[in-house]
Amino acid sequence: MTEEIFITGIGVISSIGVGKDHFHIGLREGRDGISEINEFDTNPFRAKKGGMVRGFDAREFIPISKIRKLDRASRMAIAASRLALDDAGLAVTDTNCFETGIILGAGFCGLANSEAFHRGQVMGSFLEMNPMLFPNTVPNAATGNVSIELGIKGVNSTVVQSYCSAEAAMIMACDMLAEGKAEVILTGGVDELSEILFRAYSALTLLSHDHGNGEVSRPYDVHRNGIILGEGAAVVVLERGKHVLRRGVEPYGRILGYSIVGETSPEFAVRDIGRAVKLARGGTPRERTIDYISGAGNSSKGVDEMEARAIKGSFPSDAERPPVSSIKSMMGECLSSGGMRMAANALILREGFIPPTIHYHTPDPGCDLNYVVNRAVERKVRTVLHNGISPGGTYASILLGS
Amino acid sequence: MITGLGVFTAIGKSVPQFRSSLERGEAGIDEVTLFDVSKYPSKIAAQIKNFDPAEYFERRESRRLSRADQFALIAAQEAIRDARIEVDGVAHPEIGVCLGAGAGGMLSAERYHRQLLLNEKERPRPSLLLPFLPSYSTDVVSRRYGLCGPKATITTACSSSATAIGYGADLIKRGYAEVMICGGSDVMSELTFGGFNTLRVVDPEPCKPFDARRMGMSLGEGAAIVILEELDWALGRGIAIYSEFLGYSTVGEAHHMTAPEASGTEQSRAMREAMRASRVRPDEVDYINAHGTGTPLNDRVETLAIKVAFGEKAYSIPVSSIKSMVGHCLGAAGAVEAVSSILSIAFGFIPPTVNYRERDGDCDLDYVPDRSRREPVRTVLSNSFAFGGNCTTLVLRKYD
Repeated sequence: MTEEIFITGIGVISSIGVGKDHFHIGLREGRDGISEINEFDTNPFRAKKGGMVRGFDAREFIPISKIRKLDRASRMAIAASRLALDDAGLAVTDTNCFETGIILGAGFCGLANSEAFHRGQVMGSFLEMNPMLFPNTVPNAATGNVSIELGIKGVNSTVVQSYCSAEAAMIMACDMLAEGKAEVILTGGVDELSEILFRAYSALTLLSHDHGNGEVSRPYDVHRNGIILGEGAAVVVLERGKHVLRRGVEPYGRILGYSIVGETSPEFAVRDIGRAVKLARGGTPRERTIDYISGAGNSSKGVDEMEARAIKGSFPSDAERPPVSSIKSMMGECLSSGGMRMAANALILREGFIPPTIHYHTPDPGCDLNYVVNRAVERKVRTVLHNGISPGGTYASILLGS
Repeated sequence: MITGLGVFTAIGKSVPQFRSSLERGEAGIDEVTLFDVSKYPSKIAAQIKNFDPAEYFERRESRRLSRADQFALIAAQEAIRDARIEVDGVAHPEIGVCLGAGAGGMLSAERYHRQLLLNEKERPRPSLLLPFLPSYSTDVVSRRYGLCGPKATITTACSSSATAIGYGADLIKRGYAEVMICGGSDVMSELTFGGFNTLRVVDPEPCKPFDARRMGMSLGEGAAIVILEELDWALGRGIAIYSEFLGYSTVGEAHHMTAPEASGTEQSRAMREAMRASRVRPDEVDYINAHGTGTPLNDRVETLAIKVAFGEKAYSIPVSSIKSMVGHCLGAAGAVEAVSSILSIAFGFIPPTVNYRERDGDCDLDYVPDRSRREPVRTVLSNSFAFGGNCTTLVLRKYD
C-alpha cells in the first residue's frame, strides 16, 4: 500500500448499545440485541424479531428543528458520525472541510420514505402527495444529510453492494485516501429496519422464524434456521498516516490490506472468498499470524458453511487457524453490518478481547472452526481479518493490525 | 483509456444510433406509457419505447431481472463486443465491474406495493421484490461474463454513474484491475416521476435547459457502459482507443438535500478539483457537457459555477445539455453523458441543447442551441450534480 491508513475514531448506534462504551460492554458481555419487534405490527408475518435500535434519542445529536425533516437512517448516521469525529478528536472546520470526506454503505436507506411516498401516490391525489418525503427516498440520503449537518465538503459517495455494502464503502474510502483525495474519511454503514423491509424479507421467506428451534440468530450452530434482520449505524474515521502523526493521536489500528472481488461462478464461491483473503494479505509477510477472524456468519445455512470451508482453505493447518466469531449473533444481519463489525474490530484491537458468537450450543460438522462461543475471551489481538460474504457473489476481505 | 462503448436510451438503442441522434439534435421526449401518469402535471419523459425483453433475453432469464438490470446487460454486451474483449466462459479476475445505479428494481416493487395496498384479488408475487437492490445490476453483469475482479455499485442519485467511472479508473490506476466495465443503468419509476413532479421541477413540455422559458426537467431512463482499460494492456491487444480518461472529482456541497448552493462556489469547486486532478488548465477545455437539467435554479447555478471556474474564458467554451434530448437518466445520466462526451472527442462534434430559443439574462454562455457543431474536440468536462449535494466532474481527452 502506498499510504498508511489508520482507524482513529468510531461511532456506534446499535441494538446492543448506543455509543462506543455501551457497545463495547455489549460485545464483551455477549448482549443479545434481538427481541420481539413492537415498533410495527408483526402479526401478518411468521417472523417476529429484529435487532432494533432502542434507547436512541436523536435530540442528543441533532437540533430538534431539523429532526423532523430527517428519516431514521439519516438520524442514526448523523449521530454515529458525530460520535466518531468526537472519538477521533476531530472537528470539521472551514479549513479542513475540503480534505474531509464521507463514504457510507447504505442498507436500504431511502426505502422507508419511498414506501411512505409511494403509498401516497397509490392512495391519494397529486395534491395529497407529500413532497417533503421525496428527497430522502434516495439511497444516499443518509450520507448527504451527514455531510450537510457536519459540513463535510470533501469526497462524497454512497455504496450499495448487497451484504458487502459497508465493506465496499470502506474499501472505496481506503482507495480515496491512498490516492490522496482526502486526509480523513468517515466511512462505515447505516441500515434502517422498516416495516416494509421486514415485510419484503418475510414475503421472500428469507427470515428465521420459530419452527421448533426458536427464532434466534445463532451463526455456526447446527440448528440455525435463517437470518434475523438488524439495524443501526456505525461510522469509523479513517485517516492518512501523516495526518495522524501530525495530530499526535493514538489510533485503534491500521489497515494492512483489503480486497473486494466478484464471483467466478457459484460453485467456486469458496475459492473466490479465498482469493479475497489472499489479496488482502498480499501486502504482509505470509508468516504473519492472524489473531482473530471477524466472521461473516449470519445464521443462514449457506453463508456460514461457505465461510468455514473458505477459512479452512486459506489456513490449511489446524495450528495456524485463527479463532472466529460472528457478532451478527447479537445484532442480526443487515446489508451494511460490516460497519458495525469494523467498529467492533477497532475495540478488539485496542481493548484486547474476542467477542463471542452467542446462542451457540450444538456444533455443525459443516462449520468446524475454532469458534469463540457464548463468552468473550480476554486476549491481546494484534491482527484481525474481516471477511464479508454476499450471496449475490461479492466477497470482501480487510486485514487490520494494531 | 476508453476502448469500448455501449448505450441504451430513448434516442438510440446502440452507440451508432445514439451518436446519430446527438448529431442531428433528435429528442426522445414523449408520452409516458410505462405507468399511469394521469395524476401528474407532466405526462412526458424520455422513456425507452418498443422495448421487448424477449429480443435480448430468454424468458427464464429476463423474469429474474429488473428493467434496470436488462438495460445494463444490453449496454454491457455492446461495450464488451465493441472493445473486442474475449468473454469465453473463462473467469476474468483482471476485469472488474463498477456501476452507478438508482431505482434498481423499484418499478416492479411498486407493482407489488400497489397490489398490496389496494388489496387486489391477485396476490402480489414476492419474486417482484427479488431484483430490488441497485447492486443487482452490477452482480448480473459480473456473473454473466465471469468478470470476477473488483466490484462496486455507487448510489449517489444523479451523479452515481459518473462517480462509478471515476472510481473504476482509480481501481485500474491502483493496479486492482486491467479492465473495468463502468457506467450505469437506471429506469423511470412512478416514485421518481411523481416525486420530481411534487417538487415542481418537471417541465410539462419537453425540457429547455438554459432557456429563459425553462420550467424544469424531463425525466429519462437508460444505460451506458464504458470500458476502461490500462494503457499498456490496451496497446498490447492492439485495440483502438476512443479517448483518455484523465481524472475526476467527487465533492460534497454540504448545503442542502435538493438545492444547489446558490453562488455556484461549490459546483465550481468540483470542476476546478477535476481539472487539478487531471492536470488540465481551464484554457485547454474545449467543451463542457453540462448537468443542465432545465430547472430554473440548477441551470442558473451551473452557469455561475462555470463562470467562477473559468472566468472570462467561460464565454468562449461551448456548453450543452444532452438532457434536452435523452432526458434526465438519473443514476445513468453521468454515464450516458460520458459516452456522449467520448463520442464528441472521437468523432469531432458538439451535441446541441435542443429546444433552446430565448436567452436568459442569468444564462448567458454559448449553449450550442438546436444544431450540433462539427469541430475538433480535444478536452471535455462532464458535470453531474445530485441530491445530497454530490458533485462529480469527469475530464476526458483525446488520446494521441
